Amino acid sequence: MAEEKPTPLELRRAGFARYKKDVKERGKSFYPFAMFEDTVMSLVVVAVIVGLAVLWKWTSYGPHHDGLHKGVIGPEYAPPADPGTVSFVPRPDWYFYFLFYLLRIFKWPESVFLGTIGVPTIALILLLALPFMDVRLERRPSRRPVAMVAAVLTIMSMAILTWKGATAKEALASEVIADVPSWVKTEKLPAAAVPGAKLFATAGCTACHTYLGTGGSNLGAPDLTNIGTRNLGISFQIRHLECPSCVNPGSPMPKFASLGTARLRQLAIFLESSKGKQ
Amino acid sequence: MAIRRAPSKAQVRREQMLAAVNYPLDWLEERSGLVGGVRYFLFRKVPSDTNWMQTLGSATLTAFIVQALTGVILAMYYKPSPHDAYASIQNITDHVTMGWLVRGMHKWGASVFIILLFLHMGRVFLFGAYKYPRELNWIVGVLLLVLGLTEGFTGYLLPWDQTAYWASVVGINLNGTAPFLGPWLAQFLRGGQEISGDTLSRFYSLHMLIIPGGIIALITLHLYLVIRLGVTSPPWSKEAAGREVVEEPAPVRTGLTRPAPHGGGRD
Ligand code: HEM
Repeated sequence: MAEEKPTPLELRRAGFARYKKDVKERGKSFYPFAMFEDTVMSLVVVAVIVGLAVLWKWTSYGPHHDGLHKGVIGPEYAPPADPGTVSFVPRPDWYFYFLFYLLRIFKWPESVFLGTIGVPTIALILLLALPFMDVRLERRPSRRPVAMVAAVLTIMSMAILTWKGATAKEALASEVIADVPSWVKTEKLPAAAVPGAKLFATAGCTACHTYLGTGGSNLGAPDLTNIGTRNLGISFQIRHLECPSCVNPGSPMPKFASLGTARLRQLAIFLESSKGKQ
Repeated sequence: MAIRRAPSKAQVRREQMLAAVNYPLDWLEERSGLVGGVRYFLFRKVPSDTNWMQTLGSATLTAFIVQALTGVILAMYYKPSPHDAYASIQNITDHVTMGWLVRGMHKWGASVFIILLFLHMGRVFLFGAYKYPRELNWIVGVLLLVLGLTEGFTGYLLPWDQTAYWASVVGINLNGTAPFLGPWLAQFLRGGQEISGDTLSRFYSLHMLIIPGGIIALITLHLYLVIRLGVTSPPWSKEAAGREVVEEPAPVRTGLTRPAPHGGGRD
């Protein structure tokens, strides 16, 4: 009589039954053996957390009596939130740097959606589906080459993106303003556009946008070197600056209405005069 | 017939002591079965060859407990309004006794928690511990990872300083770029058209009630499944519990290919 081949499900059930039996017969008691290791590790975790808190306090506020001082691992706090100053460079906490950097790779508007939602959603779906895609019983890493290569690639890309995000050059208003005269020369900007150019350099636009090679290139923001060639019009530019997402649904650009209409008009004139290298 | 001596005074006292200690436990056990439950948890068998990497799950739990405890203390001093938030953070860090330690542990504990989440997930992946019958626990874990990251995102706004404010402006706007739900989600997070006091109280409520509540519920389910299914032994270990021990002839190599072992390898 031919032997029936067990189905994959029967094999798995048998394997798990064997596991239960082995653990019952040859296993160790959770307390005190495994629990001892858990306790040691937990104490290490708490010690590291306390250590970081001490390092933070004693190198920021400690010697300077000023919580704004950077210290070794960062200040206690930044200056108070001020919706009026837009020159602040937005930065998430370090574990979001990989996302933050991903957004430099994809450009608004065609593909920024891929960076913000597309890649993370796909990653999440892959994670949730993993146990159903990889249904082999084999657990030894040496026999799971595909899984191991995928893991190494994932870790490497996360590490590189996080590193790039951490070291990304920030466009500081004090440095960007020095480029304004060269902008005027290169783009042959009229005198009326100069106040707008100075605002552009200091109001935080360059945290995300680039202009003649200066600026942050964040969040998929487009280069504005020749934005004027699109002839969008002064009133459109003002409306867009006041509320970007009202004009471009879904735009991640913050609102700049707090600058006031007069300054927004200056910015708009500068943008409309920017026709690229002349 | 055995001669029974009257018990000495010391013996009597020891027995009385034991009874006094056991009484509350027996009382509790009779009415709840909890003592038996804890005993089952403590003295259940685990594979004899568990590895140090398998302590990362409980280390993650410890980091979460640190966050919960320090968070409760911070909530006693923190004021979630745009007018007072920054000043209350300064007060906690620079004036409240040990306030810097509590806030420092909460702030840096968040990063440690996130790192441990990823390390624990990596260990589960390396061990292939997401396979049958632990698929569901892997999914619960992925949800915990997402909630953990959301907790980090919502907590970041609370100090109401420039870093917090501008990171959240952009973060919320990015949520808004998602198709369909995006604009609605951004609107919900802001509690209106602009980031304002409403946004702050919304983030506060999400950060200290809704998301932690979800995390606690999911951790409970996660640990229930860990105890019910047992933890895997390291897949490379000789002891590997559940491994099929089949006496099979050494596989014959034919050129570059190797015949598949019977029964699809080990569990
Ligand atoms: C708050 C977060 C979490 C806590 C407190 C937690 C806690 C634990 C604990 C105590 C264990 C026992 C074994 C060990 O320590 O390794 C465990 C096992 C497990 N965890 Fe988690 N975990 C968390 C997040 C995650 C995540 C993010 C994943 C994966 C996406 C995950 C997947 C698993 C799986 C599949 C097991 C079973 C492993 C085995 O049987 O070997 N957990 N978890």
